[in-house]
Amino acid sequence: MFAYFIEAFRVLLANRTRSILTVIGLVVGVATIVSVQVAAQGMAGAVSGIFKGTNANTFFVFPKASQGNVVRAALKLSDLALVQQSVPGVASVIPFSRAPSIVDAGHQRVRLRFGGESDKRFSTSPLVAGRTLDADDIARATPVCVISDNALTRLFPNAASPGSVIGTSIYVGSKRYVIVGVFGKTKIDTAALGLDISNDVAIPWTTFYNNYQRGSSFFGISVLAEQGADLKKIEKQTQALLAQAHGAQYQYFDFGFFAQTINGFFNIVGLIVGAVGAISLVVAGIGIMNIMLVSVTERTREIGIRKAIGARRSQVLLQFFIESLLLSAFGCITGMLLGVALGEIVDRGFIARISGVTGGIPWLEAIVIAVGFATIVTVVFGTYPAYRAAKLDPIQALRYE
Amino acid sequence: MNERPNVVIDVANLTKTYASGELQVQALRGLTFTINRGEYVAIMGPSGSGKSTLMNVLGCLDRATTGTYKLDGIDVSQLDDNQLAEIRLKKLGFVFQGFNLLARTDALRNVTLPLFYAGMPAKERERRALERLTEVGIGERARHKPTELSGGEQQRVAIARALVNDPAVLLADEPTGNLDSKTSSEILGLFDRLSASGRTIIVVTHDEGVAKHSRRILRMLDGVIISDAPAGAPV
Ligand SMILES: Nc1ncnc2c1ncn2[C@@H]1O[C@H](COP(=O)(O)OP(=O)(O)O)[C@@H](O)[C@H]1O
Ligand SMILES: [Mg+2]
Repeated sequence: MFAYFIEAFRVLLANRTRSILTVIGLVVGVATIVSVQVAAQGMAGAVSGIFKGTNANTFFVFPKASQGNVVRAALKLSDLALVQQSVPGVASVIPFSRAPSIVDAGHQRVRLRFGGESDKRFSTSPLVAGRTLDADDIARATPVCVISDNALTRLFPNAASPGSVIGTSIYVGSKRYVIVGVFGKTKIDTAALGLDISNDVAIPWTTFYNNYQRGSSFFGISVLAEQGADLKKIEKQTQALLAQAHGAQYQYFDFGFFAQTINGFFNIVGLIVGAVGAISLVVAGIGIMNIMLVSVTERTREIGIRKAIGARRSQVLLQFFIESLLLSAFGCITGMLLGVALGEIVDRGFIARISGVTGGIPWLEAIVIAVGFATIVTVVFGTYPAYRAAKLDPIQALRYE
Repeated sequence: MNERPNVVIDVANLTKTYASGELQVQALRGLTFTINRGEYVAIMGPSGSGKSTLMNVLGCLDRATTGTYKLDGIDVSQLDDNQLAEIRLKKLGFVFQGFNLLARTDALRNVTLPLFYAGMPAKERERRALERLTEVGIGERARHKPTELSGGEQQRVAIARALVNDPAVLLADEPTGNLDSKTSSEILGLFDRLSASGRTIIVVTHDEGVAKHSRRILRMLDGVIISDAPAGAPV
């Protein structure tokens, strides 16, 4: 049996060009499926990675931007208290500002933004010095801030370490903010998403509100549920409460929803690629069958010689079958490696840069796909040419020019 | 249980009818003859007389329509395709006019082919093949592909391949048909040597010069043997 593999290998090697042309379709098909598989795996890892550090017990409320709704639905300071006090299980309610303010701090421009306890939960940047804003800062609207890495280097180019700036102040106009914490470099490359947070200076949102936006409405609110509370239930109650208070409509999002949406998207991509892959499998298989049939015709004389010498039908069948097997194995393995490489490029170059999470290479899936393809292609499309070769009549085959 | 141990080919009332549509062609019309071990026989006759048909039947590539054919004591008239393949593998060696070597395969591996199908281990195959190649005088060309060999050398490779499984009968169909006269006589010299060493050889030819090397000539016409005489006897 092993001898047949060597024999088949020699034949394929002797006809290199034809062999390679034969398997291109298969290589492309398998590479496509495997690369998407690898990329999707990376994406799934990234999605769960993004949400892992954050508190999943949070949902967001935004007014629906439809006509007549905007004014009525505007979320005010009073709504925060309403939700906080009327809905059981709510730990805290934090607003989103309409827009962060670009302000001058000394001679540098920085982005002043709402800071809350939520920073601890949502932050994609590690705290490298000091502390984050706490409940007390929010409640008392203290004049403190936490600055991000780029803001640090621009405001304090000569700082010995992030820790050395704790306790010093920055001035925005006439207002003074004491630095209590410093964020390091963000794990997620938000700049790649068009959102650069490295220049952020976060002050307690209550401070922000008092100093700059008194009386204005919020862009939206985030509601943090208590540990172990039923998020969906709280979401429903909040919905009812706000609808009644404003006579308006709101949109609700939670991380589960995001994750579901993103995963749903990748499931669909996976399905489409699967379908494309199935089609490419058939096309590749027919390609192999076609070339094997051509090969059988081309090699009619060779088959005649082999049979005249004494090769039995089963031996000729086996030889051609193994040639198909080697071809499809070669195509599938090459396609697999190519697919893993492509998937990794997408994974590392794009997904991991955004998410900060690198998924491992799903070798098992890749191998299963490749082996599955090789088997199916060989059995479905390799058998017929081999059968044709085996049943050739030696006399006629020898006479074939 | 072989009553005549010297007889290697025993043909009785052999007929072959080709049915192509309405038309029936009787290519062989009742042949009866025997060939002994070690004989060197030439089969001659004009084109269409049935030489190739007879060769195919003797070579177990085709079955006779009626009659019996015993090869080396085995009645092969009733065997199926796989059994015939087995007989070809073990009992017969073919030499063709067009050499019929595998083109992209070197001489050595062409010669090992029958041993490959016989299931012999690779080392042993190559050892024996090299032995045969040396025997026919081109041992040093073993690693050359057919395209790198002259016609005469290719035919020697083909002869080595035909002999590698130690067949009971060596069948050659116009073995010198594609060769120039000098190379032809070298190949015929080789056949003479093989015959002298005890090989049973059957050669189909239309060339009296080739037939002269044999010891016995069967002349055919329209599917029958019209003469069976020692070589050199008057036609
Ligand atoms: N496969 C075939 N089908 C039909 N007729 C055939 C076939 N092979 C040979 N014949 C016929 O049988 C006769 C003998 O042919 P053949 O054995 O090839 O003669 P030779 O080899 O002496 O020229 C010829 O009339 C030929 O046309
Ligand atoms: Mg002929």
